[in-house]
Formats: sequence, structure tokens, C-alpha cells
Amino acid sequence: MHIDELERYWLIAVSVALGAFGAALLASVFIFRVQLPSPVARIDPAEINESAFAEPGLKDMGDNTYAALFVAQMWAFTPGEIRLPKGADVTFFVVSRDISHGFFIEQHNVNLMLLPGQIASATTRFNRPGTYRIICHEFCGPGHQNMVATIIVEDTEQSTAEEAAAE
Amino acid sequence: MQAVQPAPRRAPGISFPQLGMLTGERWLVGSHMVVALIALSFGLLLGPFQAFRRAPAFMEAFPQWEMPVFSYYYQALSIHGVMNALYFTTFFIVGFSYFVVQRSLERPLWNVRMAWVAFFSMFIGLGLVLYALLTNQASVLYTFYPPMIAHPSFYIGLVLLVVGTWLVTANILITYRGWRRDHPGERVPLAVYGTIANFVMWTVATVGVAIEILFMLLPASLGWIVNSDPQTARVLFWFFGHPLVYFWLLPAYVSWYTMLPKQTNSRLFSDPLGRIAFLMLMIFSVPVGVHHLFSDPGVSNVMKAVHTVFTFVVVIPSFLTAFNIGAVLERAGRQRGARSPLGWLARQDWGNPVVAAQISGMILFVAGGFSGLIHASLTLNIALHNTAWVVAHFHMTLAGAVILTFMSVLYWMIPLIRGRALWSRRAALAQVYTWLIGMLIFGHGMGAAGIAGSPRRTDMGAAAYVNPEAAFYLNSSAIGGLFLLISSILFFVNMIGTLAFSDQPVQEDAPIGTTGDPSSPLILERWGIWLGVILLLALFAWGPVLVEALDFVQGFTSPFYQPDIPVPLPFE
Ligand code: HEM
Ligand SMILES: [Cu+2]
Ligand SMILES: [Cu+2]
Repeated sequence: MHIDELERYWLIAVSVALGAFGAALLASVFIFRVQLPSPVARIDPAEINESAFAEPGLKDMGDNTYAALFVAQMWAFTPGEIRLPKGADVTFFVVSRDISHGFFIEQHNVNLMLLPGQIASATTRFNRPGTYRIICHEFCGPGHQNMVATIIVEDTEQSTAEEAAAE
Repeated sequence: MQAVQPAPRRAPGISFPQLGMLTGERWLVGSHMVVALIALSFGLLLGPFQAFRRAPAFMEAFPQWEMPVFSYYYQALSIHGVMNALYFTTFFIVGFSYFVVQRSLERPLWNVRMAWVAFFSMFIGLGLVLYALLTNQASVLYTFYPPMIAHPSFYIGLVLLVVGTWLVTANILITYRGWRRDHPGERVPLAVYGTIANFVMWTVATVGVAIEILFMLLPASLGWIVNSDPQTARVLFWFFGHPLVYFWLLPAYVSWYTMLPKQTNSRLFSDPLGRIAFLMLMIFSVPVGVHHLFSDPGVSNVMKAVHTVFTFVVVIPSFLTAFNIGAVLERAGRQRGARSPLGWLARQDWGNPVVAAQISGMILFVAGGFSGLIHASLTLNIALHNTAWVVAHFHMTLAGAVILTFMSVLYWMIPLIRGRALWSRRAALAQVYTWLIGMLIFGHGMGAAGIAGSPRRTDMGAAAYVNPEAAFYLNSSAIGGLFLLISSILFFVNMIGTLAFSDQPVQEDAPIGTTGDPSSPLILERWGIWLGVILLLALFAWGPVLVEALDFVQGFTSPFYQPDIPVPLPFE
């Protein structure tokens, strides 16, 4: 089969470029450990109330790290609001009680699908004080567009003091 | 050397009239196209109002305003997605493929009666789905994920659509086999090559969604089962979902590769590489669907990475196409007098709606294609999954490149079906350019709104929050929607005008080629081998994902819900 010379160069150039993109991505996952949601554990939606998710909310794990447990259901998140100090490292654990929902922190790097039967999880840090919105971004019925919660990141004395000490 | 070969037994070839159609062909192809247009009219006209509803400026000016006819936003959005993306496309593609196969092979379909059975299966399916959608009993969007459950007629209608297309595959493949028997050693015309690749791919892919519907959704809607597993359902759906988007794209490529060269008085640069592109799209459409599941909790990072790598591979045939079609357009531009190295880009037949629509589609495809590369990059996907960015991406690819190319086909094919010229070339040109401009504005606006965090599939007009960073772009995408509304109206007026009011004779013949390039390797037509490769890849790329999603200990534990009632089914 005849392949034109120019076209061969084009193909090689395209393949090399795509190969470089792909390598960069694999590096971002396996070397730099950019996290994608991946399997944590399963949970039977009927047994949420017998699990740690019976009392969702923020758990202080010490050292400015937190575990944040959320339950999503039509059409609200519980808790509806959490407060964190600036610079906190938070691991979210989120489950759905009924149908599929989303857990998307606007202008941040958390983006989870919440599927009944699965525990979704992501870890992130909040360096910038302010109010962040958690949005349900997966269609979940007529109340979908009202399904929001807030994260308030506070510029506390303690964290400013720590920062000063670090500098 | 072999002894004297018996002369191949040739079926009585049929010759097709110029500037017209055979009666049977007219009815068969015409019925598919008219039903496609009806489905499109349900879906298309809602799109711009969705864009208005999502624009803060519009909702501030008219706070009480609701979607026309279907005041419930998600009902309208379900109709928009299902009618445009599932029914319009499928009816169009089946009708177009029948036309291409018969004309290029110069022989009738293997079984015309079976073609009509398939048509009525799909048509009744359309009626059942429309019933459920219009009565607000299927406002579950075009992805219909469980545990949300719709009226049974919705699922029965979808099953009838899929079963119909399987009959189409059989019909086309057997027609091809007959041609092959009569033409040993010849190469099938490229348009038929692409069509076969498309239906083989589609038929493999639909197995996933058929299992999802037949074993989860339909029995649940009938009350026969009470639990499902949403992760498993999403795996089955997206086994089908990515080939679905190529099922839309390949017929557009058939037009670009085999019709555009004739429509621009140019010549295809390389027929064999066109085949390679179709073959690669067919094969590598399978091991990539997990790129829709990057944010899912039940799929491991390893499989997400594997599908990312294949996603980059499946970009190659589109770059091949860019080169090949670029060369077609370069020759066309030079023939029209272009001299400078890039002058041919401007020297195209911009006054011919059939050509202008396809080139406009390509312009949108460049933007849409690159946007896809960006969110296929799994780590960037975290910022973009389920945001308006995705809407921008598939409106520039599907509602841009694919739909403009389908419109281009309709602009020459509806006249052939009706036996009358296109009602208005000027309206068609205005339609093409308003679509191009509208979709560029819409695509840019939705893309930027997505980067700013605006979610998709959300009735922003009623939302409990506003995102000031996204507001400007949501407003600008509504302006794009206005262009698109005008364009859509121009399109339907022209279609109705051509079918009902035009009185000029047909001027443009079907751009069909009846020979294949003999230099292309025959192994490309060993469909059995390629099917085997697909099945192996499917096993390798999807087996682990499915095993991971299935819970062998507890089984399915998630009850079903009606979308508007937060109490599990069955109600006591
Ligand atoms: C008149 C031009 C069009 C406009 C202004 C338009 C507008 C929109 C908008 C604003 C959305 C997103 C709504 C949301 O996420 O809340 C949307 C979704 C969608 N559109 Fe279009 N659209 C147009 C044409 C088309 C065409 C021609 C097709 C396909 C053939 C199409 C297929 C889809 C699909 C599949 C969705 C996704 C639905 C979902 O998320 O469930 N659109 N459209
Ligand atoms: Cu939601
Ligand atoms: Cu895809």
C-alpha cells in the first residue's frame, strides 16, 4: 500500500505528539499521584444508618487533617455546611442514600460521581479562605438544581500563626 | 496457476436514474429521512430555549419565564437528547446507509421486506418513546441511568430501535456478501467500507445497552425486579456510549471522504488510508468508553489509564482524516485559482450550501476535537466532568460537524427524494452560516462557563445558586442559542418548502462512487478477523471493569426510584 511521504511525516508527528500527551498523563497519575476517584469500599444503601455515615459531618483527625463524611439524597447534602481552617487537608467520604448524585466543588479539584452502593472519596487541601460551594452535578430529579452545600474556609488565628512560624 | 475459472455469476445490476430515484428506493430512503426530520423537530427547537433558561441575564429580564410547551426543564432536556441524539441520528443514518450501499454497489438490498420490518420496528419504538416523553413519564435524560426509572414504553421503544438497527446490519452485510461473491478480488467502494465498519461497530456496542435495558431497566419498570447496581449499569451503558458517538461520526466521514471530493470537483487523496481510518475508528471505539467514567467511584485507576491510552490512539484516524480531507480541499482551492500556500483555505465554494455546510462542520470539528482531547486527559477531567464544558464539546462535534454534514446531505438528498430542486439555496446558505456562528458562540460560552464551574444538566433558571464567574459566558451562549434558533427555523422552512412547494427540477445528482481503489490491501476487508480483534479488545478492556463493578458478595442492592419521588419503589 502506498503512503505519501508527506502523509507519513504527518502520521509520525501526530503519533509522537499523542504519545507525549499520553506519557504526560500516565506520569501525572502514577508518578505525581494526581488522584482520580477509585474504589474505596461498597455500602448497601439500606445500611447507611448502621454505618459511620449515620452521623455525617466533619471529623478532626489532628494535625489540620480532617475526614468529612457526607450523605447525599434527593435533594440535599448532609451536612449542609462545614467549616474548615485555612490549609486543612480534607478527605471526603460521600455516599448516596437513593439515586445517583454528583459531588463537585466549584473552582476546586474535587469531582465525584455518587452512585448508590459505592463510597466515593477524594482528598484535597483548602489554601484559600472563602466560601466554596458543593454542587450536585448529576441530574437527580426535579430538585436537582437546588442541591448544594457549602464549605467555609476560615482564616483562623491559629493557621495564620502557624504560617508566620513557618516563614 | 489455476485452471479456467467459471465466470462470476453476476446479479442483474440495477442502474439508477440520474437526478432522480427508483420508486422503491424513494419510499424506503424517503421514509427514513422524513421520520428523522420529524424526530429532529421535536428535539432541535428546544435547544435554544435551554440555553436561554441557563442564562442569568435572560432569567433576570423574564423571571417568570418557563420552557415553551414543556414547562419542566428536564422533560424538555430529555426530549432534546433522546430525539436529537438517538432518533434523528439513527433514522438518518439508516436511510443514508441504505442509499449509499445500494447506489455504490449498484444492486438492490438483500431483502427489502426486512428493511421495512426494521423501519416499522424503529418507528413504533419512536412512538412509544415519544408517548413516555411527552407525558412526562420518561424525564430521565437520554442516558436513562438507573436507579431512576421511566415508564415501560420508554424502554420497549428503545429496544425496538436497537432491534431494528440489528436487522439493518444483517441486511447490509448480506447485501455486501452478495456483491463480494459477484466481484471476487475487487475492493468495495470506500463509502460502503465505512458503512459496514459503522454497523459492525454499532452492533457490537449495542449489546451492552441491550443487556442494561433487558436485564435491569425494563424488568424494573414492569415491577419484576426491585434492585439494580448503578455502577454496573454505567459500565454497560458506556460500553455502548462511545461507539454511539462514532456511529454518528462515521456517516459524516463517509460524506467527507467520498462525496465532498465530487462536490468540490476534487479527488480523494488516498482511498486506502481512508479505509485505515474507518477500520481504526471501528476497532478502537471499543476500549475507550471508561473515559466517561473518570469520576466514578467503582472503577480503578489502572483501567482508567488503560482507556486513556486507547483514547489517544483513537484520535489518530481523525488526524489521518484531517490530512486526507485537507488535501481534497487544497486541490479544490487550487483549481479555483488559489496561489499562496494557504490561499486554498479561503478559495472554497462558499456559495454552495452542500459544500459550505461540510466545511463549516469541519471548522467546528477542529474546535470540538481539541476540546475532547483536553477532557479525555484524565487529570484535567476532574475540573471538567459534568460541567457545561462537555456540552460545548459535543455541540461542536455532534451538533456541529455531524449535524451540519447531515444537513448537507439532506440539502441534496431531499430534492432527489421529492424530485424537485431545493426550495431555496439562499436560505440554506444563511442556515449554514448562522449555524456556524451560533455554534461557535455557543461552544465558546458553554466551554468557558464549564471551566468556571457551571454544571451541565441543570435548570439554572431555577437554581439555588449563581456563579458570577460563569454568568457572562452563560449569557453569551444564549446569544449563540439565538443564532441557532434562527438557523433551525430556516432549516425546517427549507425542508418543508422542498417537500411541499418547490417546483423547479432537481439540479444536483447523488455524489456516489461505484469503485474501490485496487491498491488498497484486501485484508482490510476481512471482517471476520477484525471482528475477532474487537471482541478480544472488548474482553481485555471491559472484562476487568465489569468484574470490578459487579458485587459478587452482596449482589444488587440499590432500589429503583421515580425521578420525582424520593421514596424507593415499589410503593407500599
Ligand atoms: C439549535 C441548536 C442547539 C442548541 C441551542 C442546543 C442547546 C443545548 C443545551 C443548552 C444543552 C445543555 C442543557 C443542560 O445541560 O442543562 C443541550 C444538551 C444536549 N444537546 Fe443540544 N442544542 C442544540 C442542538 C443539538 C443537536 C443538533 C443535537 C444532536 C443531534 C443536540 C444534542 C444534545 C444532547 C445529546 C444534549 C445532552 C442532554 C443531556 O445532558 O441529557 N443538541 N443542548
Ligand atoms: Cu442532582
Ligand atoms: Cu466517549
